[in-house]
Amino acid sequence: MNGPVTFEELASLMKGRAGLTVEPEELESRRDSTFEEFDLDSLGLLGIIAELVNRYGRTLSEEAEACKTPNDLLNVVNAELNQGA
Amino acid sequence: MKARTQATADRQAVVTGLGVVAPNGVGADSFWKAIQEGATVLGPVTREGCTDLPLHIVGEVSGFDPAGLIESRYLVQTDRFTHFAMSAADLALADARLDIDQQAPFATGVVTAAGSGGGEFGQGELQRLWGQGPHFVGPYQSIAWFYAASTGQISIRGGFQGPCGVLANDEAGGLDVFAQACRTIRHGTDAVVVGATEAPLAPYSVVCQLGYPELSLARDPRRAYLPFTEDACGFSPAEGGAMFVVEAESAARGRGARIRAVVAGHAATFTGTAGWDRSREGLTRAIRGALDEAGCAPADVDVVFADAMGVPEADQAEALAIADALGPRATSVPVTAPKTGFGRAYCAASSLDVAAAVLALENGVVPPTPNITDVRLDLDLVTGHARTGELRTALVLSRGLMGCNSALVLRRSPDDRR
Repeated sequence: MNGPVTFEELASLMKGRAGLTVEPEELESRRDSTFEEFDLDSLGLLGIIAELVNRYGRTLSEEAEACKTPNDLLNVVNAELNQGA
Repeated sequence: MKARTQATADRQAVVTGLGVVAPNGVGADSFWKAIQEGATVLGPVTREGCTDLPLHIVGEVSGFDPAGLIESRYLVQTDRFTHFAMSAADLALADARLDIDQQAPFATGVVTAAGSGGGEFGQGELQRLWGQGPHFVGPYQSIAWFYAASTGQISIRGGFQGPCGVLANDEAGGLDVFAQACRTIRHGTDAVVVGATEAPLAPYSVVCQLGYPELSLARDPRRAYLPFTEDACGFSPAEGGAMFVVEAESAARGRGARIRAVVAGHAATFTGTAGWDRSREGLTRAIRGALDEAGCAPADVDVVFADAMGVPEADQAEALAIADALGPRATSVPVTAPKTGFGRAYCAASSLDVAAAVLALENGVVPPTPNITDVRLDLDLVTGHARTGELRTALVLSRGLMGCNSALVLRRSPDDRR
């Protein structure tokens, strides 16, 4: 799989890994809100990144963990997944 | 050990809320109804992965859906033992009608006792580690399995920023947490959410328990857990527990809370694992210490909730300790162990005993000890039917498999006009 990771996938991961319910449309329209505002803490983000690593079979840099917003995360993750694709 | 002084009288600790999640009932009302009737819910273990192990008879919580009470963002990062704790804490807080005061965020603390912790959650993650690899271990392993999980999550979810703690102190920890709550209150905190829950019925946790010679491996639910009888062959473990709100009496009265009972005295000793006969002196000293702190004479004790290990040497030691500590009163005071009806939930067993004691004091009823008819020791064990009577003071006993002995004295609410 090469991605790109979508807001829909991110919403699904937030639900599955962190128990947070948010519609993909809302996630997209609030893409620059912080994860904290969605009640996603640092452990929750780690869990989502770990699942992405397993799903796409690619390691991700520490930059992913440092992302504060959905938009940042998708930008970083999709850029890294597409490197050397 | 001295009686409480006048200076500390206004920091007397009282129970204002109670929440129960037990094999015989979810909610204090269901629990009380079941223990008053002497219901027995021990049965063959059904929990996944446990049905082919040598442990057969247990007390399982049924009809419990944490998703109805707790948000999923907490559920994914917690084990069943914390689901029990958070649910029971919610019930206790609702019972106490205690709301967070935005002006006093540090006014409420949380302290729980822990024993087996998040064994089921931890086992799942360990299976992923060894079955799939480190990258498949979730990030919540670190906070779900460890003993402090319930305290932490109750504190976070409720916004309770007061002193928080956890006691990993054997089964007796379930009584010791009340002493910790009292200390916290005496040091100035107005309210403490306190109690213990356990979820030891998962494969890894059960295998750990198979190492205890005191564990009953009987197959008949009516014969598996028979303390104080000739046929005692160990205890049947259980899951579940109870949470309480304990407050400074002055704070409780200040907000018009209903006082359900008074936490009057506590003491704890340690006698190690060299034999159950050693626990006799330890338990005797614990009882004396608790009565001293409560300013209570042996003759004042109206009911004893026994530890009831269910092993002949341990039962004998407990009966002798009751006799040593209570003197002439020992042969006439009603003794009971409702846990024979639903199992011994490790450190949550004593919290459930405290719940039963509070309810007994309120209702003037001693619940019976289910499944037992012939008692071989010199105790007035209440069997068959519940017994009504004037109950003002309850003594709760607890011993741990690793050598802890504790006693707690509870008094009926001073507002009870009966």
